[in-house]
Order: sequence, then C-alpha cells, then structure tokens
Amino acid sequence: MSYSNEDLAALVREDSVHKSVYTDPEIFRLEMERIYGRAWIYVGHDSQVPNPGDYHTTSLGGQEVIMVRGSDKKVYVLYNRCPHKGAKVVAEGCGNTGKFFRCPYHAWTFKLDGQHLAAPMKNGFEGTCFDPKHPDFSMRRVARVESYRGFVFANQSAEGPDLGEFLGHVITSIDNMCDRSPVGEVEVVGGTFKVWQPSNWKVFYENLHDTMHANVTHESSYVAAREQAQDYGSMPLELHIMDGNGEPYGFWEKLDLYAFENGHGYMEGIFNPGAIETDPVSKAHFETLKDAYGEEKALGILGQNRHNTIIYGSGSPHTVFQQFRVIRPVAVDRTHVEIQLFRLKGAPDEIYKRGLMYANLINSPSSNVMPDDIEVYGRCQEGNLTRGGDWISMHRYNGTDKPIEGGMVATNGTSELPMRNQFRAWKKFMTMA
Amino acid sequence: MLFDIDFDVGVDRVAPVNLNPQASRAVEQYIYHEARLLDERRWPEWLDLWTEDGMYWVPHSFDQTSPYEHISLCWENKLLRELRIRRLENSRNWSQQPVTQSCRVVSNVMIDGTDPDGYLVVRSAFHSMEWRGKEPVHRVGSLIHKLQAQEDGGWKLRMKQVNLVDRDAVHGAIQVYI
Repeated sequence: MSYSNEDLAALVREDSVHKSVYTDPEIFRLEMERIYGRAWIYVGHDSQVPNPGDYHTTSLGGQEVIMVRGSDKKVYVLYNRCPHKGAKVVAEGCGNTGKFFRCPYHAWTFKLDGQHLAAPMKNGFEGTCFDPKHPDFSMRRVARVESYRGFVFANQSAEGPDLGEFLGHVITSIDNMCDRSPVGEVEVVGGTFKVWQPSNWKVFYENLHDTMHANVTHESSYVAAREQAQDYGSMPLELHIMDGNGEPYGFWEKLDLYAFENGHGYMEGIFNPGAIETDPVSKAHFETLKDAYGEEKALGILGQNRHNTIIYGSGSPHTVFQQFRVIRPVAVDRTHVEIQLFRLKGAPDEIYKRGLMYANLINSPSSNVMPDDIEVYGRCQEGNLTRGGDWISMHRYNGTDKPIEGGMVATNGTSELPMRNQFRAWKKFMTMA
Repeated sequence: MLFDIDFDVGVDRVAPVNLNPQASRAVEQYIYHEARLLDERRWPEWLDLWTEDGMYWVPHSFDQTSPYEHISLCWENKLLRELRIRRLENSRNWSQQPVTQSCRVVSNVMIDGTDPDGYLVVRSAFHSMEWRGKEPVHRVGSLIHKLQAQEDGGWKLRMKQVNLVDRDAVHGAIQVYI
C-alpha cells in the first residue's frame, strides 16, 4: 500500500506502535528515504583513511558510498557510481586508489573529491552537451559531510540542522570516548566484526536500552559465567561482563536512562571495569590521564561510566570498552551490524587489550551472549508476521518520563522511554513535509 | 586477564619429523576423533582432549598473525571453552532451540613437523554443515592442530586453529565449536 503522512503518524501511538513498521517492505523503503535520507549517519572514522587516496566503502541507508581522503587531506563521501554507465567505481572494501578514481568499465577518471578528470577520446563528444565541468559528469558527493573528533558523518539532504545540533547532548559520548585517550584521539584498529541480524533495524536500537530483557534472554550465559566463577573461585573480567546481565530487576530499576531529540540516548554503565584503587590496568590508565589533564578532569573522564549510547540511525558507541556498533539496515527483516574497535592513542596497551577482549566475547558473531539476542530479534520478526495481534507495547512507565534539556530522563531504569523516544523521532522524520 | 597470556601461535617454523605409517595413522585417527566428539556433542570428552593451557583459535582476518593485536572469532582458553559448553547445555539457551546439529568431513591430513617447542603441527581441511531447522550453514576451511605428545603415547591438544575460507564475511551466530 502507499502511505500518506496521516497513515504513517497513525502507526505510532504514545504507548504502542503498529507491527507493520517492522514488517512492511514499503515502510522500510520510506524509512531509507525519509530517515536515512535526512539524518546525519556515521560513515566511518578518520583513521580508516589516513592518507590521500585511501578509501573505505560503506553504505548509508542502502546507498553505497565511498569515504575517501582527498589530496587536500579532507575526507569526502561519494556515491559509488560512475556517471557514465552507472558502474560501481571501486569494489567493496578498502584500499588506496592513488591520485584518482578510474572506472573499470570505460576508464572515466575522477579526482578524489569526485570531480571529473578525464574520459578517453575527446573527439567523440564534439557537438554534444557533454561538459566535464557539469556535475552530471562527476561522481556525486553526498550532500553534506561533517567530522566530529574524527567521527565522519554524512547527510544526504542539504537541508536541516548541522551535525552538532542533530547529535545534541549525545555528542558527549563521542567526547568521552576520545577524552579517555591522553591525547584526545582514537583510531579504528584490529579489524571489524560483521554480524547478520534476522530482523528489522529498529529492533536492535530498541534492545540497546531494553533493561528488562537482560535477565531473561541472557540467562544461559550469565548462569554459565556464574557456574564457571564458582568452580574457579574467582570472577575475572571475562566472566564479569556476562554476569552483569543476571542482575535482578531491582538493579536495573535504579539505572538512569536518558533519551534525547532525534531518537538518541544513553544508559548508565552496568559494570565498572575496575576501580582505579584496586585494578592496576585502570590505575595505569588513570595516571596517563592525570598527567595529561590534571587529576580532577581525569577523574571526571573515567567517572563517566556509560553503557550503550544510541546515535539514532548510526549505531551505538560503547565508550568504556571503545566499541562502535554500526547498524546498517539492509532489508525490512535483515540488518547488518559492524563492530569497530578503537584504540585510545597514548593509553596503556592493556586498555586496548581489554577492549579487544570485550569485542571478542560480547560483540562477535561467536559471542556467548549475542546469539540469544539474535534469536529473540528473529522471533519478533516471525511472530509479527502472524495474525496474532497488531500492536506492540511500549507501555512500561509511560507518562512518567521527566523532561530535561533536549530530552527526557526515565523515572525508572526499566522504563520503555527509549523506545517511545525513538518512535517520536521516527514519526517526526517519516511525516516531515 | 586472558589476553595477558604469552602463547606462541606460530606454526611455520617446523622441523621435519619422520613418523612410521602406524604412527601417522594414529595422528590422523586422533584428528578424526576430535571432529567426531564435536559432531556428537560429547563435550566432556572433547574438553579432556586439551592441555591445561591449550588455546582454541579462529582468526578473523586473512593476514592475522596473532590474537593479541586483532579481533578473533574465537580465542578461548580452558575457562572460556568450559563456559561455552556450559551455555550450550543450559536449558534456557534460546538460540540452541533446536540445538545445532553438525557433521564435518576432515581430510587432507598432513603432518608438517614439530615446532620449536616440540609440538607436532598437523594440517587438514574440513567441510561441515550445521543445521538448526531453517537454513543450512556450511563452513569450510583448514585446521591446524598443535599436538603435545603424552607419556602414555597419546596426544593432547595444545592449539587448534580454524582458518575459515570466509572468515571476513558477515556471519550469523557462530555457536558450536568448528
């Protein structure tokens, strides 16, 4: 069916949402146009393209794009399409293209910023409107690109707020991840995991701040971790990060959940990776930050203990373990999640290794935790294809959210505020004129 | 912490070793036995194959030489192997309902020689299919076993490295041992 703005608005109620937003391919198509065509979307990190000619391919709401370092050292984001026959100019992946892009089909070439450089055999164009200076004959740039502390975002629309305004308060999570480096910089290193989710992209976002599922969905892994700890007589960090999911409801109720404009938010940390008094790795980290920033600021940086942050449309940075789960919708029932691991430049190597361990054990396809998430997401997708009901509940603590600047804070850590907030943003984008 | 351990994953510096046909066949049988224990989900017996400090490694990238500077699909010591199996056996492991059925063919077994620490390096190829009632999952790759000779004449697993042909692909959940 085709949807009017009124139809779309009617799919989102204050306390529930119609299941078709997860299952209807037409709605998915509209989302790619109206959300992914209008929001600022994370493309990649500066450190993935350090030198001129370095490129990295990725996608923005299904649009294949190239992030490339220009000869002027600036980062450009181009649609991966030759304007001649439409061929993809570079294969998926990364590399260095040299001083220019060269289409493998008819050798049209383009500067690193996409501008037309040359096409073979000038004689054939006489008397036509072929004009190398006209944008129709260059690789097209994504309308806007902005970088914040090395995190490159692109926006396919020329209209609307700038990146800082779009991110709002959630930008502090990017700051905190960078500030954890004594030189204030991070880099993507050590490979990126890629995992299929058999479900709609929104399910993943909702789950990031869904504290009610942890104890239920992850029972097999936290019970296994506890049994292991009992046998070994101690609980190393490897087990501790799984044990956390088994905290009782009372624990989750006390956590803070923040929700901001445009669907963003973050939740308070659920495990302290090590107090600076007791854990030598954290202590060494603290010392490097103290030398760089002074004691007070160093304490403030490490004291900001956030679990998942949500940058709606882009994914989820985890500041304490230096991860970024990039969430890419592929189809109405298929989502690609890429996990980037960051190194804090100048921080002790043990901090990187701790992040590496977290990536391997929590964010990899071979994790002992994520398979149960993947399973329940898939079950939501399948259950919603039945005639067993049309609406999805987001009632928990509805009506109790407290306004703060730029958003809301939940009165209870088990609130479904994050889901309600994401759908407010969804409705805004989807019904924008 | 797990990643503090100093474990030599190198398999290229090997000295030739001359095993008689009977001993070679015993090594092959050991490799097949290890595969069979996994397919038959005989977890305690499989766990018993390992040395105390043995490591199970599934690299993530083609040019990866170490599990210390790069993510791995698996880098598991005894603690984590037991953990995975405890989770597989937990009755509320939703993603193991139905359980993963698997069958693997292991072939091309070649004994490369012994590494500087005296462990026997054995290479082979495998093809397996996993099944949970929906889509079949094929896994193909090469295996490298580092075996430690035992006083009774048998072997223990010092390292098992699994090099998937599609290791850099987008994967669904990888749950059981490959």
